Amino acid sequence: MDAVVVDRVFFSYDEVPVLKGVSLRVRLGEVLAIMGENGAGKTTLIRHFNGLLKPKRGRVLVFGVDTREVSVAQLSRKVGIVFQNPDHQLFAESVEKEVEFALRNMDYPEEGVKERVEQVLRLLDLEKYRSRSPYSLSVGERKRLTIAAILSYDPDVLVLDEPTAGQDFINKMRIKGLIESLKAQRKAVVIVTHDVEFAAQTADRVVLMVSGEIVCEGPAREILTAPELVMKSRLSMPQIAYSALLLRRRGVALPDTPMLPDELCSELIKLVRQNVA
Amino acid sequence: MSLRVLEAFKFRRRNTVIHLLDPRSKFMLLVAFTGASLMLSDPVTLTVLLIGELVVLAVAKAVREWHRSLRGFSLILIMVFALNYLSLPSNKLFTSLAMTMRFIALTTAFSIFFLTTTPDELALALEASGVPRDYTLMFTMSLRFVPTLARDLQVVADALMSRGLELERGGIRDRVRNYVYLLVPLIVYELRRSLMVAEALEARGFGLSKRVEPYHELRFGLPDYAITILSLALLLALAYAHLSGYYARVLEYLLQLPWP
Repeated sequence: MDAVVVDRVFFSYDEVPVLKGVSLRVRLGEVLAIMGENGAGKTTLIRHFNGLLKPKRGRVLVFGVDTREVSVAQLSRKVGIVFQNPDHQLFAESVEKEVEFALRNMDYPEEGVKERVEQVLRLLDLEKYRSRSPYSLSVGERKRLTIAAILSYDPDVLVLDEPTAGQDFINKMRIKGLIESLKAQRKAVVIVTHDVEFAAQTADRVVLMVSGEIVCEGPAREILTAPELVMKSRLSMPQIAYSALLLRRRGVALPDTPMLPDELCSELIKLVRQNVA
Repeated sequence: MSLRVLEAFKFRRRNTVIHLLDPRSKFMLLVAFTGASLMLSDPVTLTVLLIGELVVLAVAKAVREWHRSLRGFSLILIMVFALNYLSLPSNKLFTSLAMTMRFIALTTAFSIFFLTTTPDELALALEASGVPRDYTLMFTMSLRFVPTLARDLQVVADALMSRGLELERGGIRDRVRNYVYLLVPLIVYELRRSLMVAEALEARGFGLSKRVEPYHELRFGLPDYAITILSLALLLALAYAHLSGYYARVLEYLLQLPWP
C-alpha cells in the first residue's frame, strides 16, 4: 500500500491558488525529493501529508485514511514532519525532554520512553547534550534535535523540509546517512529541497513543481540530468551532470549520463582505456 | 479570542475625508471620544456617543472591519456584562449595560484612530510633538511585526501539532498548558529576530544623526481645525455638564425610568 496518496488536490490561501490539482504517491522504502522554485507550493503540499492543511478539493490519504477524518495528532503518528527552522519547534528545558515530548503525547509506555530517547540521541550524536537547554546548542545540533524529536516515535513516513539549509558539509553527510538508514528500514522519506547535489545523492525519485503544479516526476537521474526540465523549475543541474553535458558538447562521447563524482570518474576511465587500447 | 480582534486596529488604505485628516486632529478626536466614554455612565447617552462614532466610521468606510473585530470581542463583552450584573447590589441592568456600552465606545474610539492612521503618520505626529525617534521607530516596528508574529505563531502551532500535541481539542486546563508550549518558542524566536533587526538597522546607519528630516511634512488644513474644535467642544460641554450638576440630574431622570 502507498504510504501517502495525494489525489488531485487543490488548495488556496485567501483565494490565492497555491496547489492546482496535485497528484502524488509516496511509497515505503523510497526517498522522494520534492523540488522547485520558491513559492511553487512545496511546503503547502507537505503540510497536507499530516492534515495540518486540508485540501479544498481532492483528497489526501495516509495509509488509506482520508486526512479530513482524523486529527493532526493522530496522523502525525504515521507521518512525522520536521520543519525548516529549529527555532520554531524547540521549547523544552532539556534536550532529553524535547525528545520525550512526542512520546508522552502519544502515550508510550513509561519504561519504553527512556530506552527510545537513549536510542535516538545516540543515533543523532546528541547524547552528550542530554541535559542541556535546546537553545544552547549550535544550529546544526538544533537541526538534528528537531529530527530526533520526530524520529523518537518511529513514524513510517518522515518528511524533512529543507534539511540541508544552513548545514555544513559534515552535518549534511550525517543527514544523508540517516536518510539511507531509514530507507533500509523500509520507511518512506520525503525531502523538500533546493539542494540539487543533495537530491542527486539521496533521492530515488524526484518531483518538480512549478507554480502549484507538478510538471514532471520520475527517477532522480532522469529528471536531474535533463537540462530543460531543471531550468523550468529554476534549479541548476548537479555539477557532475552539467560537466558531463559540457564534455559531450565538446565531442567527448560519454556512454552514460553520470550524476555523481565516482560515476563521472568511471565513465572517463572507461573512455581513456578504450583510447589506449 | 483570536487574532480577528486585531482587525479593528489594523490600518486600511482608503481615500476618505477621515483618512486624509492630519494625525494630530485624529488624535484629538480619539481623546474626545475616550474622554466622553469615561465621563458618561448611562447606557442611553453612551449609545448616542457610539452612534456618533459609527457615523465617523461610516464616513471612513470602515464599519465592516469594526464589526468583524466586535465579534471577536464578544466573549469579553459578555464577561464585562456578566461580572457587573452579578456583582452589583442595585441598578444591575442599568449599570452593567452602561459598562458594556462604555467598553464598546472605548474600543471603537481607538479603532477609528488606528484604522485610518498609517503607522508612519502616527510616528510623524509623535515626532512632531517631541517624542524621540528611537521610541517612534520602536512603535511603528511593533505594529509592522504583528502580521509576522501571527504567521510565526501558526508555524509554531503546526510544528507542535506534528509532534502529537492536541491543540484542536481538550479542556480549559489543557488549552492553557498548550499555550505555554506555544509561547516558549515564539518568545525565543522573536527575541532572536529583534536582535537581528537591531543589527540590521545599525548596519544601515540608524542612529548616525540625531535629527532626521521627514520625507513629508504634516499639514493642518481646514477640516483638521474643524475636527479639533468639535472635539474640544465635546469635551468642554461634557465637563461643564458634570461640574454644573446637569449630568447628575440626567442620570437621576434616566434611573427612575422603569428598567426591568
